[in-house]
Formats: sequence, C-alpha cells, structure tokens
Amino acid sequence: MRVDAVTDAIGNTPLLRIDPSVHGLRHIDLYAKLELLNPFGSVKDRAAWAMARPLLARAAGRGDIVVELSSGNTAKALAVIAGMHGLGFRSVTNRMKVPEIKDLLLLLGADIEELPGQAECLDPTDAEDPLTRMHRSLAAAGTGYLHTDQYFNPLNVDAHRHGTGPEIVADLDGRAPDYFVACVGTAGSSTGVAAALRRHNPGLQVVGLVAHKADFIPGIRTIDEVHEVGLFDPGVYDAIETITADDAVDGLLTLVRRCGTLAGPTGGGAYQGAVRHLRTVDAGLTGRRTAVFIVCDRVESYLSYLRERRPELFRQPARPTSTRTVTDAEAARAPSVDVGTAQRWVSQGRGPVVDLRSPFAYQALHIDGSINIVDELFAELLHGGLPFGRRQPVLLVCPVGEKSARYAALLTRMGHPDVHSLEGGIIAWRDAGGELVRD
Amino acid sequence: MTLRLSPRIEPDVRSALAETVLLQQLVDACGSPLSVVLPDRMADNVAAFRAVLAGHRLAGEVFFAHKANRSSALVRHLAAGDAGIDVASLGELQHALSAGIAARRIMATGPKNREFLWLAARAGVTVNADSIDELSELASLVTAHRLPRVRVMARLSGFASTGARVTSRRSRFGVPARAIGAVADLIGKEAGALDLTGVAFHLDTIGLAEKVVAIEGCLAALDECHRRGLRPRSLDIGGGFGVDYLADAAEWERWTSELTEAVLGRRPPLTWDGHAYGLRNDGGTVRGALGLYPAHRPVAGAAYLDALLRAEVRAHRRTVGTLLLDAMYDLHVEPGRALLDQCGMVLARVLEVRDDGDGTVVRLDCNARDVSLEEHGVLMDPVVVHRSSPADPRPVGAYLVGNLCLEADLITRRRVHLPARPRPGDLLAFVNTAGYFMDFSATTAIRQPVARKVALYRDGGAWRWCLDEQYWPVHPGTEAA
Ligand SMILES: Cc1ncc(COP(=O)(O)O)c(C=O)c1O
Ligand SMILES: Cc1ncc(COP(=O)(O)O)c(C=O)c1O
Repeated sequence: MRVDAVTDAIGNTPLLRIDPSVHGLRHIDLYAKLELLNPFGSVKDRAAWAMARPLLARAAGRGDIVVELSSGNTAKALAVIAGMHGLGFRSVTNRMKVPEIKDLLLLLGADIEELPGQAECLDPTDAEDPLTRMHRSLAAAGTGYLHTDQYFNPLNVDAHRHGTGPEIVADLDGRAPDYFVACVGTAGSSTGVAAALRRHNPGLQVVGLVAHKADFIPGIRTIDEVHEVGLFDPGVYDAIETITADDAVDGLLTLVRRCGTLAGPTGGGAYQGAVRHLRTVDAGLTGRRTAVFIVCDRVESYLSYLRERRPELFRQPARPTSTRTVTDAEAARAPSVDVGTAQRWVSQGRGPVVDLRSPFAYQALHIDGSINIVDELFAELLHGGLPFGRRQPVLLVCPVGEKSARYAALLTRMGHPDVHSLEGGIIAWRDAGGELVRD
Repeated sequence: MTLRLSPRIEPDVRSALAETVLLQQLVDACGSPLSVVLPDRMADNVAAFRAVLAGHRLAGEVFFAHKANRSSALVRHLAAGDAGIDVASLGELQHALSAGIAARRIMATGPKNREFLWLAARAGVTVNADSIDELSELASLVTAHRLPRVRVMARLSGFASTGARVTSRRSRFGVPARAIGAVADLIGKEAGALDLTGVAFHLDTIGLAEKVVAIEGCLAALDECHRRGLRPRSLDIGGGFGVDYLADAAEWERWTSELTEAVLGRRPPLTWDGHAYGLRNDGGTVRGALGLYPAHRPVAGAAYLDALLRAEVRAHRRTVGTLLLDAMYDLHVEPGRALLDQCGMVLARVLEVRDDGDGTVVRLDCNARDVSLEEHGVLMDPVVVHRSSPADPRPVGAYLVGNLCLEADLITRRRVHLPARPRPGDLLAFVNTAGYFMDFSATTAIRQPVARKVALYRDGGAWRWCLDEQYWPVHPGTEAA
C-alpha cells in the first residue's frame, strides 16, 4: 500500500478471527477488530483525524494550538497530526497516570497540563468541572485554540459510523455480527460502530464495558464517569457491564501470548468482557453466531501499569552480587568505623571515600575529598565485579549508615579485605560537627 | 431503602458509644450539642506519623495543626507526648504555651499580626513566614525590642514543574518559589535577627503529584540558600494528609453512582429537594464537579505520607524520601485532620421526629455549624444513642434539620440511614468529627449555645470524663499506664 500522507493509512484495519481453542466458545465465531494497527497505534487515530481535519487549514492560518482533554491515545494522535501541520498541541488532563504515555507525548512535542487535585478543605463555592477550568486557562493564555472536544464532538462518532463499522460488515461478507462488545471512553467508537452495524442487523446486541469504580483502566470510564460524556447515550447499549483491571490484564495476557495480538489493557478487557458475556449465551445456542470486539491500542505503553499490578510477570532472577542478597545479620557484621576514626581516615588520606547519596545532595554538601557514586550506579558496577583493587582501602558513606553497611557487607563477601562503612552515616558526621564542603 | 454510608468506627470509639447512660447524662448535664474529645487516641495517630518518618530514616517533627480543634484537653495531652504544634493565631499560640508545650516544639503559621509575631519571637517559637514583608517586619520587631534571634522558615508557593506542567490552585499564601533569592538576601542582611532553619509549603490538595512538585521546588530553594552560604536544615510540607471516614468502599461507590442517576432523573432523589452537590443535568449529560470530600480514602493520614515519600521525583530518579535523606534534611509535617482521626464526636439531642414526603425529618438541638459535616462535604451516617427502646425497630431514611430559623440549616442534605427510628430525647452521635467539624464554624447566632466540650478518657477499665478545660494529662488513667 502506497500513501502520500500517513493519515491516509488510518483505518482499514484487519478483522482477526480468534482461535476457538483460545476462547472456548462452541457456537460463536469471535473476531477482534485490530485497531491497534492504526499508524499512531490506536482506535483514536480515526476520531482525532476526523475531528481535526476540517479545522486544520484555518487553524494553521491563525497559528492556533490544538487542545484536548485527554491523557492517552487521542492526545497521542492529535499531537502527531498537529505536528504534521505545523501546529502546537496541548493535552489537558486530570492526572497523567501512565508514565510511558506522558513521556511519549513530550517526545511528540506536546505540552501537558495537569489540572489541580481536589482540595483537601472543601470549597463549596468551587463547582468547576475540568472542562470549564480548561477553557478558562486557555482563554487566559490569550492564544487562539482549536478544541477538538472529543467527549461532545459528533465527528468522533462519525469516524466509526462511516469507517470502523462498515469495514467490519465488509469483512464479514456484507453481514453484521450478532454481538458487538466495546469499551467505553468517549463512547465514540461504540456508538458509531453500533449505528453502522444495526443498519444491517437490527437485532444486534451491543455490550458496553466500563471500568469497575475502584479500578483504573487507562482509556475508559467508570459507570459514573460515562454520564459526564456528551456522546454517551445509554440507549445504544443492550447491556453495560463492568470490567476490573484484573480482567483487563488477564485478557491482555491471552491476546499477547496466545493470539499474536499486542493489545493494551482495554483490548484485553474487551476480550475478557466479550468472552464472559458470550459464555452464558453460548450455552443455550444451537446455530452459529458471530461476535466482534475492538482491540483499541497496543501493550507497549503500559509496561509500568502492568508491572505495578503484576510484578511477578517481570520478576528477574536475583543477581548474586546485589545488596538484596545481604541478610540483616551480615549487614550488622559489616566492617564499620565511627565518626572519629573516619575523620582520621580522611585527614590521613587512607583511601577513597565513596559517597553513595544522590548527586544533588552530594553537590550541596559532602565530605571533602570524597567521590560520589550514587547507590544505583554503584550497584550496577558491582554486578560486574569489584570496582577497585583488594589492596585499596575504601570508606563507604550514605545518609545514616544503613546502605553503606549493606554494600560493605557485599564487598566483603566479594573478597575485599579493607572496606568500611561510616557508622551513622553522613548525618552522624554532620551532627558530630564534622566538616562538610560544597565545591 | 436508604443507602448507607457507615462511618469507620474503631474500637475505642465503639466502646465509648456503648456507654449510652453516660452519654445521656453528659448531654443532660452539659446541654445539646455536646462535643466529646478522646485525647488518648491522638497519641496513636502521632505515633503512626513518627513510624513512617522512622521507616524512611528521616528525622523531623510532627506538628499538630491546632486550627482543626480548639480543645484544651487535646493540646495538653499533646504536651505530655513528643509531638509539636502548629499555631495559626495569637490565641492558639497562647493556648499552646499555657498547655506546657515547649517553644522549640511550636511552629507559628498563617497570617500574622504584630502581637502574634512579638509573642512568637519573645517565646522563641519558629516563625513560618508567609511573605518577605512578614520576615522584614519580624526582623525589625526583633531589633527594636532587642529580642533573641528568631528561628524562621519561609513558606513558598507557585512551584514550577518539569516535564508535564502540574498546575495547582492559586494560593494566597507564601513567597513565590522563584523569589527564594530575595528571601536569602533578607536573611543575610538580618542575620542578627533571623535564623533560617528551612523552607515550607502547605498545599490544599489531595493530589500527590502537586506535592512532589512542591518538594522538588523546595529542595531547589534549599540548595539556593546553601549556595548563598545559609545552612537551612529542614523542609516543612504542611498538612493535608486526609482521613478515611467511611467503613465500606462499596457503600460510597454505590451512593455516588446513585447520586449521578438521581441527578439525571433516573431515580428518586437521595437528597433534600434534589440537592445535587455541585452536579447538574445538562440535556442528559452530567456536568459540574462533585463538591464532596472523597470520604472513602484507603490511603490517608500516615499512609498518605508514606505514599508521598515513596513517590519518585523523576528529574532525580529517586524517591522523595531518599532525596530528603540524602540531603540530610529534617522533614516536618503539620497534620490537622489526620491527627484527629477517631478522636471525637458531637452529640445532639433529638427534639422531634416526623414523616414528611420522601423521608423522616429529625429535628436536632444543634445546627449545621455545630457539626459542619455538610459545609466540609463529608457524608456519613450518625449513630443513634437510644434513651430507651427505639420507637420502631425498622430502619428509616432521615433528613436532619437544625435549631436555626434558616431553611438552609440542614445538618445533612443527604437522607441518612438510621438503623431504627429515634424518639425525642434520644441522641445522635456524629462520630469522627474532631477535625474541623466540631468547632471551626460554630456560632452563637440567635443566641443558640455553642457546644460545650468534654474529654473522655479511660481509667483502668472504665470511661471517665471531665470538662475539656479541666483536663490535664495527670488524671489517674495516665498514671496507671
Ligand atoms: C485505550 C483506549 N481504549 C478504549 C477507548 C474507548 O474508545 P472511545 O473513546 O471511542 O469510547 C479509548 C479512548 O479513549 C482508549 O484510549
Ligand atoms: C499551614 C497549614 N498547615 C497545616 C494545615 C492542616 O491541614 P490538614 O488539617 O488538612 O492536615 C493547614 C490547614 O489549613 C494549614 O493551612
């Protein structure tokens, strides 16, 4: 496929039949609409392009910036589109919760503005919603702006009514499926696709998935939050069901490990929600049925999200030369010197003093003549072996003498005969009136 | 069916609530409303904060933000322990000194007049200054009255973030962080009068990210002071650690979902006259912002401090706690609300119980300022202390109205759940109201009395009480322990 602009590559994504041995449904063919294969990585490429496209020429003429209330895929797509057209992009968000996406947006040239958290002392006169705040902050900035308004903009729905929906019908040889399952964020994709499919099959069952209230699934809303969405119309859905972050991760693992589909959490949630809903239906079926769910985006942006929820997925074998392997007893036995001895060590120049604190703290104040190797780097060095010779006496310094004791124990175990930890750390040194310098 | 919002009640409070005869006698003797404080619990709350500091190997003080409660018993109890106090007025400073809290453990914050500054300087407490003008006024007072050199901290605000822009609500307090140079210049010039011990902030937000940005800004400011030859050693991160008020997350989730449904007109109202707590129905879409305290907060108080210390400062790739420890700074905190978790309740007498439309109306001998839950946006059910058997053992949904001649005098606009119908003469106990809801807003409008306060403490196995102003931490209970 040859294209002149990357935006021409938006849409026409594959419809993948999920292997029945994976989902276990006997009477239902389950298909995944692979929206993760859009050029910027998600289903939101369609909406972003549909909403921005008609306004770009004018905005470019005036030098407006593009703004959207989004901390995820819409922001990502808009940042790329704005950049391609020489415009700035600002993402306004309540909380940027996924660090990889934040970094990616910054890399793409976006400005990110995080709105303040709720007040600890309630101010009952403050009834502003994030949208009002955003408009006020933009108005104050004085520059023109193009607000794509994804939660209210009908073009967000149209992108799917005219794109995603008809593509599904075409790939199913002109027939609409019997079931359609989608996560609800702005409701644009589910509303648009449902409308297109219903034209072909008025009996279509639509399941909308929202996040469990106590959970956070990036990209979608909870049952309360959907009511704040202008595009959300409960009449579109035959059922609104809840998925938990655990469901989303379980589904994600199935898709990435067994289906060759590198789906993000909402794709996983849609799979899990679809199978859960269809399993009850499947039991009572005799004829064949078809179901479609949407895989919205890709897994790569959610590694920290996954690490937080399923650390065991990332567990690495402990490296032998790590302070984690040092027992408390070993640390307590580590060779150490008190402040008085340490002062003589320094004045007599017995050997290097290694300060394990952060460079920031070291630069502010340190023991004269010491060198700074922050603990993380020091740990890395030790994986490779002893970073100084055995005949070289070394004094290790940290804030209170705990970390340095662990490193002294580890170095001793690695065969260093003359390494010591400063008892009580640099705080004890300071409190004893020891000299500290700043270069 | 009225949806419940059950308060989190820990064993000591539960045991006090079981003393129904005592509670009735107290209200008979002292009148309704009556504030009850439980000083002993406060020490546990202080210990929890200390444990978090110790866990991060950080030195520093826990300063109780006095503004959260006027009680003498609480402050005197504090004097007996190892915590400090944050005073925000001349009256609070006098109160703290008279309770026996040593000047070294007192921090003067907030807007100050000359008298407050003078007494702070005279007594030798730390002045946490709001502005450069305040610092120069203090310096001239010290010089003119030949007072000893005063320990000061500079409160900062308006921190700049790196990477994503983290915005905070505008604050009326503090020196702009970028003006730290001017603070350092002034301290340098007034070295005989002022001793800069550190910098401070207090942000009125539950957002961790904003506080991380503020801490980063303070570290930079401290570094700038060091560069100019000053030796500040501490960072005071103010209060705002929060309290978890509700026992059950599911109740809170259910209630807030149903409120949304009610605002959209899809279910009957849960509130007086369809009050929507800041939400509104805009053509089928909910707009506005929910003006309520997030009453279910699994990470609150000392645990919130721990989460903050574990948060990463991306620019330094280290956690807040390690950065502070590396730099050898003491970390001070000024929790108000969080130190008063489970430390008190307000009792009010039921005057009338009648049925009206969508609920039972219970009129109390107190008003919305005496238990200012509604003003602070905290929703939880009261506990009924029956004088005898309940009027009807079945649960009721009730609106609680007060003793002022104001339509707005509703102690709660939410229909609360009472497990059994109360009778006139019964008491309602509003638990966990020691932080701000007890006396911050109370007034004597229309000559209605402001609640008296009593302290309730354990002596051996038994609960004892005394008037708040009679409490000193040398009652028999403290000696037994
Ligand atoms: C990861 C992810 N999944 C699902 C959705 C939901 O799509 P829609 O906004 O069309 O409801 C979004 C959109 O915000 C998303 O970013
Ligand atoms: C300077 C300062 N410190 C501490 C507090 C106490 O806050 P909280 O009760 O939320 O902990 C306040 C509250 O207003 C304050 O202004």
